[in-house]
Amino acid sequence: METPYLAAPALPDVLPPRKARGRAMLFIYRHPAIFWGGLLLGLIVLIAALAPYLFTVDPTALAPAKRTRAPSALYWFGTDMLGRDIYSRVVYGARVSLLVGFSVSAISSVTGMAIGLCAGFIRPIDAIVMRVMDGLMSIPSILLAIAFMALLGASVPNVVITVSIAEIPRVSRLVRGVVLSLREQAYVEAAIASGTSIPKIIWRHILPNTLAPIIVQATFVCASAMLTEATLSFIGAGTPPDIPSWGNIMAEGRTLWQVKPFIVFFPAMFLSITVLAVNMLGDGLRDALDPRLAKRI
Amino acid sequence: MKRRSFLTSAAAVGATLAAPRISLAQNARVLKFVPQANLSSMDAVAGTQYVVRNAAMMVWDTLYGVDSTITPKPQMCEGHEVNADFTVWTFKLREGLKWHDGEKVTTRDVIASLNRWMVRDTMGQRIKASLDALEALDDRSFRFRLNKPFSKMLFALGKSNAPMCLIMPERIAKTDPFQLIKEYVGSGPMKFKTDEWVPGARAVFERFDGYSVRQEPSSWSAGGKQMKFDRIEWVILPDSATASAALQNGEVDWWENPIADVVPLLKRNSNIRVDIGDPLGNIGSFRMNHLNPPFDKVGVRRAVMMALSQTDYMQAVAGDDQALWKVCPSFFPPGTSLYTEAGGELLKGPRDIEGAKRALKEAGYNGERIELLVPVDVPITKAEGDVTADLLKKIGMDVNYVAADWGTVGTRRSKKDPVDKGGWNIFHTWHAGADCINPAPYTALDASGDTAWFGWPKSDAVQKGISDWYAAPDLAAEKKAAEEINRASFENVTYIPTGFFLQYTAWRKNISGIVKAPFPVFWGVEKS
Amino acid sequence: MLAYILRRVLATIPIMVVVALFVFSLLYLAPGDPAAIIAGDQASPADIERIRVALGLDRPFLIRFGTWAWDVLRGNLGTSVFTNLPVTVMIAQRIQPTLSLMAITLTLSLITAIPLGVVAAWKQGSSIDRFAMIVSTAGFSIPVYVIGYVLAYVFALDGFDLGIGFFPVQGYTPIQDGIVPWFMNLLLPSIALGMVYMALIARITRATMLEVLSQEYVRTARAKGAGQGSVLFVHALKNAAVPIVTVVGIGFASLIGGAVVTESVFAIPGLGRLTVDAITRRDYPIIQGVVLMFSFVYVLINLGVDLLYTVFDPRIRY
Repeated sequence: METPYLAAPALPDVLPPRKARGRAMLFIYRHPAIFWGGLLLGLIVLIAALAPYLFTVDPTALAPAKRTRAPSALYWFGTDMLGRDIYSRVVYGARVSLLVGFSVSAISSVTGMAIGLCAGFIRPIDAIVMRVMDGLMSIPSILLAIAFMALLGASVPNVVITVSIAEIPRVSRLVRGVVLSLREQAYVEAAIASGTSIPKIIWRHILPNTLAPIIVQATFVCASAMLTEATLSFIGAGTPPDIPSWGNIMAEGRTLWQVKPFIVFFPAMFLSITVLAVNMLGDGLRDALDPRLAKRI
Repeated sequence: MKRRSFLTSAAAVGATLAAPRISLAQNARVLKFVPQANLSSMDAVAGTQYVVRNAAMMVWDTLYGVDSTITPKPQMCEGHEVNADFTVWTFKLREGLKWHDGEKVTTRDVIASLNRWMVRDTMGQRIKASLDALEALDDRSFRFRLNKPFSKMLFALGKSNAPMCLIMPERIAKTDPFQLIKEYVGSGPMKFKTDEWVPGARAVFERFDGYSVRQEPSSWSAGGKQMKFDRIEWVILPDSATASAALQNGEVDWWENPIADVVPLLKRNSNIRVDIGDPLGNIGSFRMNHLNPPFDKVGVRRAVMMALSQTDYMQAVAGDDQALWKVCPSFFPPGTSLYTEAGGELLKGPRDIEGAKRALKEAGYNGERIELLVPVDVPITKAEGDVTADLLKKIGMDVNYVAADWGTVGTRRSKKDPVDKGGWNIFHTWHAGADCINPAPYTALDASGDTAWFGWPKSDAVQKGISDWYAAPDLAAEKKAAEEINRASFENVTYIPTGFFLQYTAWRKNISGIVKAPFPVFWGVEKS
Repeated sequence: MLAYILRRVLATIPIMVVVALFVFSLLYLAPGDPAAIIAGDQASPADIERIRVALGLDRPFLIRFGTWAWDVLRGNLGTSVFTNLPVTVMIAQRIQPTLSLMAITLTLSLITAIPLGVVAAWKQGSSIDRFAMIVSTAGFSIPVYVIGYVLAYVFALDGFDLGIGFFPVQGYTPIQDGIVPWFMNLLLPSIALGMVYMALIARITRATMLEVLSQEYVRTARAKGAGQGSVLFVHALKNAAVPIVTVVGIGFASLIGGAVVTESVFAIPGLGRLTVDAITRRDYPIIQGVVLMFSFVYVLINLGVDLLYTVFDPRIRY
């Protein structure tokens, strides 16, 4: 006997048309993390981009006679141990820190994705590559980074490469996990059985499903990279001191933090706010794209 | 093999864990000292780091010592005899000298130690080159027989400049002079507790009760080394913010080198005393490579000197406190007997950037890229490096700022290759004033070209001046030779002194007996 | 089960080989070597070269690697280039402080973060939830050493004159010398180090709890009359444990990075500082020994985590 299915009654058109502004407010209400995180991050990016126009001076110009002056109308954030203007260094430093964060994020995501896809599909590669990734992951990333910097020498591109190498294993594991679980899905098996080439399967079925976790992971990698750069500078293995970055402004000023705390305070504040913004963005994206992802890191 | 080494290490762990700790009640007999850097090894003959030398001075004794006027005085020796032309030196050891393991000190130990030291030390090399024989006459007497006069023998044996002529037991002194010793037994006032050594964190010295103290009052490394502590702990604190906080909190008693900016804070603290540590100070060094262009041309070197502002360097290195630094147009430290400003006119007066730019062009600078090696983990050299990068940019040179750590720079600066094959153009360092008081310990002054110190400056005029000093019969002749050397060194720009600076030392107010010296003097210090 | 464990332990061998080869190559290629540092500033270029030869640093790569690998297989990790102490002794000296720091950090983080995450999940969407998440996100946005300095200033130096400066600024007291001094030395560093960990754990706890709380069996438990506390902590948390344990395991590796910095700031003589010092001075035997040890520990932790799964989730069997 068949159960009669009732059709849903047609709803009268009583709801008013939704206005654009209403939709924007709804978006903000539903996804505050994405909005505020994105806004804050956008603000910092803007500051970094417009650095020369924001009343800054040459961040590398020394004036030892004017060292460690407290913040004043002339030096908004004070001067450091060599007389350089901290405000200018922090604003220009935003460029380096953001560059490191975004580059590491991009490089590790793309490379990790490539490795994870290959490993997920091709068994022999999986065994070898995953052993290597395990090996890399088992070396604490800070020590790996210091060792690489000792090898390559200090420069911004080298910092990017080093931190990326430390982050790639995690991304590749994530992608590999997704690929392995997707391979079991019926539609993928069907596609393989019907003779679709592997690259096409990857492009059409696998890739779109990996994008969401990768994007979320990328934001966390970005935050982690910026903090790692600060830690590396603290240890003395980060960006070279003649290029200001938040990490090395703090590293240079840390011996004086008890007497001249402003040298460390301003870059620390900027770094924290930026990392907070990126993390919030990541949280929001994850909640929006797939709540199930909340379980995976 | 596996089990044996496991057991050894397990025993070592056990020993470490079971080592006796000093309770709070015995605090007054324990001194906690924060040294200027990590004590990475304990061989002060094979390695010349100041920190190692400072530690070794407690554990090993020397035949002679120097007092605060840098005059050699007998220490392990009773005295000496020398013939009229300074070619035969005879020495006799004091009675009752013992090693930390209870054995007596004999001339066999002395001769073995001298042989090891002579290989590494510049003065020792001179002695060795003219040595006919170094023989033991009996258990306590020994004699040098030289084929050339050497009047500065006592200074050589007693100087505190590294490598010091430390006397070690024969078995230890037989170690190859280019390898580190493995055992740390000496005859000095303190024993080194190898079992309590945590390299990088802590080094412990314990009083040697069998030390026979000389009767004279102590002065630097001469006189009676009266040790008032049972135990001295070196607490390694590489983070100076932590060291400053620890001193304020009373967790350590004496901090060798507080950074100048923190000193006002320490001075305000009623429990802490601050004073200049070493009256002989330090001379900063801007050292160019005379083998690679563009600094192979003396005109280019002099052009840089025209624009170089010692004031900038010294403020960057020593901070705002004017009492801590001086402009120093000389290769010798101000206030010492050989100080002279002869030839240093280029460093005096207002700086001439435009003149420097012109001089650069005239001298033949063609826009070559300058490899500036900056050890960024050492604050002094980092500050110097930053100022140099700025200076060179100002006079229109193309600078490649190579940020590296001290180890990398130390290795790279020893390469004589051209820049594109891994060579270098500039590095920075500094020399303790005690190492610059006269040409004898002054390795950086030597201008013999290939065999000179890194940078390989070559100037016959400088070398003649140095020989004149060695041959000088009295102070007036020495001063004349020093003027010659100074003038010639500036003419050739062996290196550019970046200025003269002093460093503070800080201690808790319940510590007394701290004296100003080129090294921390632990004897005579006590805690109430 | 035993076969699984055995297989896992055997699988560590290729990983260790990869790690050993990788680290060794890195060090071989890196410029600078200990000879220049040992020689000190006043030494001549000839001196440095002779020290290099005496240390055997001029031998080719394969011979050096082969000698070292052979020694390791026989249990000998070598001797430090600078101090001539065996690497095993130097590591043994430093294990207790680092282990203690990790242990206290882990305990503190778990004690604060898990309840925080649970409460945030329970009151999802409320201001408590928002606040907890912002605080924990802020926790891992501030560099560890900044937190360390601020904590030292307030609680050790009594910078604001509040009379709360009881803690020591630096140093480590072994546990044999008294539990209280040992703990006092480690509390501030653990808080500084643990902020990041706490933030991670709080977030993952909240996320997993959210998913678990929406499950049917939770509704059943409530319907059966279980109290809120029992529902949250007994029924829900146990089921949420697997991802939390995973994060704890993964986060452990990042803890080591933070430990390096914390050990520097608070002058704790631990493994982190030992390794950084060794890398800066190119003390190869120590670097190789420590990295090998770290990777072994990491693999063990992963194994431990996987075994813990079986405790929390009976469906998982090996």
